[in-house]
Amino acid sequence: MGTIFKRDFLAYFRTPVGYAFMGVFLTLAGLIFYLSNLQSLSGDLLSFLAQLTSLCMLLCPLLTMRLLCEERQKRTDQLTLTAPVSLFKTVLGKYLAAAAVVLMTVAFANVFTLIIALYGTVYPGEWFVGFLGFTLQSLSFLALDLFVSCFAKNQMTGAVAGFGANFFLWMADLLAGKVGVPWLEKALNFVSLYDRYEPFLLGQFSYSSVLFFLTFIIVCLVAAVRVLDARRFSEGGAA
Amino acid sequence: MIEIQNVTKRYGSVYALRDVSLTVEKGTVLGLLGQNGAGKTTLLNILTGYLAPTSGRALLDGHDSLLEPEEAKRHLGYLPEQPPLYDEMTVQEYLAFAAELKGVKKSSIPAHIDEVMELCGLGAMRGRLLSHLSKGYRQRAGFAQALCGDPDILVLDEPTVGLDPKQITEIRGLIRTLGKGRTILFSSHILSEVQQLCDHVVILHEGAVKTAMALGEENDPDEITLQATVAAAEKSIVSRLRQLDGVRRVTVLPTAHSDQTMAQITFYKQPEPERRLFSLLSSLSIPLLELSRVQDSLEQVFLKAISDTM
Repeated sequence: MGTIFKRDFLAYFRTPVGYAFMGVFLTLAGLIFYLSNLQSLSGDLLSFLAQLTSLCMLLCPLLTMRLLCEERQKRTDQLTLTAPVSLFKTVLGKYLAAAAVVLMTVAFANVFTLIIALYGTVYPGEWFVGFLGFTLQSLSFLALDLFVSCFAKNQMTGAVAGFGANFFLWMADLLAGKVGVPWLEKALNFVSLYDRYEPFLLGQFSYSSVLFFLTFIIVCLVAAVRVLDARRFSEGGAA
Repeated sequence: MIEIQNVTKRYGSVYALRDVSLTVEKGTVLGLLGQNGAGKTTLLNILTGYLAPTSGRALLDGHDSLLEPEEAKRHLGYLPEQPPLYDEMTVQEYLAFAAELKGVKKSSIPAHIDEVMELCGLGAMRGRLLSHLSKGYRQRAGFAQALCGDPDILVLDEPTVGLDPKQITEIRGLIRTLGKGRTILFSSHILSEVQQLCDHVVILHEGAVKTAMALGEENDPDEITLQATVAAAEKSIVSRLRQLDGVRRVTVLPTAHSDQTMAQITFYKQPEPERRLFSLLSSLSIPLLELSRVQDSLEQVFLKAISDTM
């Protein structure tokens, strides 16, 4: 697992993908920061974080699309899948590599916290809860995208499908208010990532949300392993 | 040791493999022959656990590659049809990754990959990015990857495709060297290669095993064929040959000289049919210019095997 993690993490910075992710994320975050905080002279960290979600939704598929799809396209998965490493460890290693890039990016995003701290006040509790929520939400998007990309042969398809899935889960609660079917409403509310993120944005530490995000990540990864495992039965015709 | 037991792979109603069984004993080299699309790659992918069979099982050193993947793959080196190279890595980094993946101890990795690079002639390329390598070197890098971890079992899918003649000779030499004490299964559609390297041959056609034999057993055990050139016109000798005791059939081959006849004479199995031929010719006072036994070539065996179903 460590071997896979190391290789995939380094690969992000051997190719433009890692730089593109961090660069675009931080640049756009800076723009949002300028518009929502600097222009209006606001020191509100949480409302700034709330607006970063859409960036995450958009960019996380960029990170996950290469982990499985590129390997499949270039057939390098024939090395990892025939090595004495279990499928779960392989998937986990890959996920953690992408997660490490996200964590680095989130760490860099604290430049904005620093700016607020210089000219205003940052409450440590608020900062902690806000960033924890944001990180968990980003990692959930990442796990979901990794799972969705299992179904795609092509990196582009994987990324687009990932973005679609992100967007759907994020606005599931909006949909829930309109469907009028009670059980469906409940289900949609349950999976809505935005609903889970909201308490953090209000400055509340929500155990149930933390638990939900962690479970969500594990379920996505296990499902990804299952899909890859099942694919060995259905695929691989004359190459 | 490799055991493939009754492996069938089906996609919907299409059979890629039909009840394939074969065994490769430890220390032997088995060549898997077949036309393109015969199912060679699918079989190797199932053996290495990359694909799952619809039914049947594949064992590596007694471990099922599907049910006990970690034990089964511990002693496996696999060179797929297309070498699985990460373009953004250098040769050295890539081999270190492969070695680590196969559980080589961290401290012995540098020495190990030096050895592997030396063996595959990659020493000069160690710092190059894999994306900058020529096809021949990419193939070698793939081969080197398969050797990482010093596996007992090597599975090679068309290892010499795309190489120039010198490289082909080198890779073949390497397979021959490695074959001592290891179990090697490799696929090919180059007959001479298989003939040079293998102890056993399995011919796969349309997903099924057509022929499995040890090399040197290509001949039909029930008959012996002689090829003779005699100083006589065709008309005067062929009918006599056909009447000879124990002759099954006579095939006349074209010659450059009208006063000579070259023929293949197939006898039913018997010791020294040469004696009969010689007595016939001497009784007719026909000089014998050349005489040899014909070995059925692998090519004939192969063509016969794949034409059976046509």
